Order: sequence, then C-alpha cells, then structure tokens
Amino acid sequence: MYNTLIRNIIRFVVLVIMQVLVFDNIRFGSYIHPYVYVLFVMLLPFNFTKARLLIDGFLIGMAVDIFSGTPGLNAAATVFMAFMRPYIIGLTTRQSDIEGKNFPTVTEMGLQWFAIYGILLLLLHNLVLFWLEAFSIKLFGLILLETLLSSIVSLLIILLIIYLFKPIKK
Amino acid sequence: MYNLFIFIKKYNAVILFILLEVLCIIMIVQSLPYQNRKMVNLSNNIAGGISRTTSNWYDYLHLKSENEALVEQNALLLSRLACDEAEADTAYYDDIFTYIPAHVINNSIYEMNNFILIDKGKVDGIEPEMGVICDKGVVGKVLNVSNHYSSVMSLLNSYSVVSCRFVDNQYVANVVWDNESYRFGIVKDIPSHLIINVGDTLVTSGFSNSFPADIMVGTIEENLSNNNEMFSTAKLKFSTNFSTLRHVYIVKNNYRAEIDSLCITR
Repeated sequence: MYNTLIRNIIRFVVLVIMQVLVFDNIRFGSYIHPYVYVLFVMLLPFNFTKARLLIDGFLIGMAVDIFSGTPGLNAAATVFMAFMRPYIIGLTTRQSDIEGKNFPTVTEMGLQWFAIYGILLLLLHNLVLFWLEAFSIKLFGLILLETLLSSIVSLLIILLIIYLFKPIKK
Repeated sequence: MYNLFIFIKKYNAVILFILLEVLCIIMIVQSLPYQNRKMVNLSNNIAGGISRTTSNWYDYLHLKSENEALVEQNALLLSRLACDEAEADTAYYDDIFTYIPAHVINNSIYEMNNFILIDKGKVDGIEPEMGVICDKGVVGKVLNVSNHYSSVMSLLNSYSVVSCRFVDNQYVANVVWDNESYRFGIVKDIPSHLIINVGDTLVTSGFSNSFPADIMVGTIEENLSNNNEMFSTAKLKFSTNFSTLRHVYIVKNNYRAEIDSLCITR
C-alpha cells in the first residue's frame, strides 16, 4: 500500500519535471508537442475508484499548468482522460484479463495492449487540450492533425521511458 | 432526500468529473483576456525561481555564442559613437529613454499567445507597458510585474500590435503576428498605393510611448495583398530570433507620466 503511494509520488514529481523542463521545450516541427506526463494517469492501479482517478488527474494537470502559465488547460484535458480511462480499459480488455492484475503496465498486460490503450488515451487527451488551446472550431482540421501527430510521438516517447525505467526481472 | 443521496452515491464520479471540468474551464476563460493574467503572476513567483536555476545552466552552454553576439554589438556601438563624435553638431544626447538589461529565464514561441519571463521586476523599476528590445530588434511589451520578475508579451502574441515605419519612404503601418511561425509577422494597414518591395526594412515609428523610434522590427518577405483592397498587407520576417533570445533590454521612458498627462496619444 505504502509502496504504491511512494511510487506514485515519485512518478508524479519525475514526470512533471520531465514534462516542464524537457518536453515543453522540444518541438518537432510546429504540429508535434509531446505530452509525456499523462503516463502518470495511465499507470494508476486498476483498483482505484473513478473519483480518485479524476482527482489524481486533476492534480498532475494542474502541476504542469502552474509551470506553463496556462491555468486549467492541461488539467481539463487530464481530467477528461482520467474520466474516460475505465471505459477504455473496459473496451480493450475482458474482465477475466485483468483479474489478479494490479497495474496496467507493459510488464503485466503486454506491449500490444498497452500501445492501443495508450494511443486511445493520448488521442482523447490531446484532442481536448489542443481544442481548448485554440478555442475555436475554425481550426478543426489543424487540431486533428496536431492531435494525431502529437499522440503518436508521445506514445513512442512514453514507451521509450517505460523501457528505460523498467525494473529488471529476476 | 434519501433518493438524492443514492443518486449522488451512484453518480459521484460523473458529478466530480463535471465539477472539475467546469472549474478548469472557468480558470481557462478567466485567463483568456491577457490583462487578467493574475494566475500567471502567481506562477511567475512559484516557477520563476526554478526557471531561473535551469536558465543559469543553459547560460553556460551558450556562453560562446553569447560572447560573439556581445562583441558584435560592442563593435556596432563603437562605430555609432565614432559617427556621433564626427558630426557632433547634429548629434544630441538621448535622455528620454533609459535601458535596463535583463535575462530571459523562460520563453515560449509555439503557443497561440506567447510570453517571455525576465528576471527584473518592480524592484528594478520595471512597470507594465514598457517596451522590450534586444540587440537585433523589438521583442515585446511588459505585461505583468512581480517584485523580482516580469512577464513580457512577445510579438508572437495575437494581442500584440506594434506601430512601424518603412525606412525608405516613412509610411506608417502596423505589425501583428501571423499566428504560425515564430519567424514571421504580418504588416497591416499599408496604404494601397505604396509599392512594396521584398527586403524593405521596417523600424518602430516612435509613436507609442513604449519604444524609441528607429528600432529594427524586420524586413518584408512577401507581398500578400491583392489590388482591390483599401490597405495592403505583407509578410514580415522578424529581425529578432525569438528562439534564441537570452539577453534583452527594457526601455524606460523617463517622461512617460508627463506624456500620458497630455493624453494626446491612445
């Protein structure tokens, strides 16, 4: 229990720092903006209640917002993503698949499942984020393009990070 | 009443979700008009210290190119000094504007509205609406001031307008951002009879109290106008490179209060 809490706190701090100091400064062309901190919400345990997911999502979104000077922007997108997470899990797994599993990680659920789960959540998150940032329907094509490209790049970076920090199996 | 509790218990996640989203959207909407960026001021104070530390690290990495830029500027200033001495009768001492040097400690160039954070604030005599320039040209205007930090609205902002003048023919126009690339802006309100050449230089007009006259803004990249409009527009390449901005100067107009009291501009 405490182990999970401490691990989550460390993950929270590390991901916020990574996002603010590294990934907010990286742009591959003007359409791709990697959002890596959402990995925190993806990796929360299966047994968390919906309310807890929402609050955790709100907290990390707000933390990133304070550093980027955009109050509410990332938080809104992350809360939406946390809200959709149970439905995405329900959509991509059968109940029997997640019995006895604790975390939706690559090690427990497999790379292929995680990639689908990750890209769906990233698409939802980025769509809300870029739409709120632009705040108009006029730019919808641009927003879709930005969402698609950013989600793919974010997923690749997230997988890289997972393999970098993956605990070595005994 | 009991039913209400059952309802709240059953749908607590949905209710919480709606509450949080409404809260977020209120925050976003409140921060939309750029004058009300109080939250930015708050995060200036919290994030300012951290940004400053990382900025110090980056400064080391850029020492060489910074040195070269400073040497270049030195040379330019020396040559201007020589000119002034040569024609002492026409030269006058400019005491209207004072320049306060500052470091850029946070900078965005890819958002819809971009802001720069600098490490000088109220204590150093910075006030909102002061102009910000660098050795290459105009950077933006001071927006919010906390004790030790200020946020600057850069030219790369949909609210930013700078009054400009063509060097060749003295015609005045306005420069805004094209909302796409950090290298290009749009020149609006050019009288349509004016022939626009690629490479024409634009400098500040000096009509606003924020900037002195004849600070470089950029050069014309492309003529965008068609013939049947009242005013022409053109694409402008900023002389300032916003992606490598490190040192800036805040322009302080020493007679600002006096000029404002006459209320002729605005």
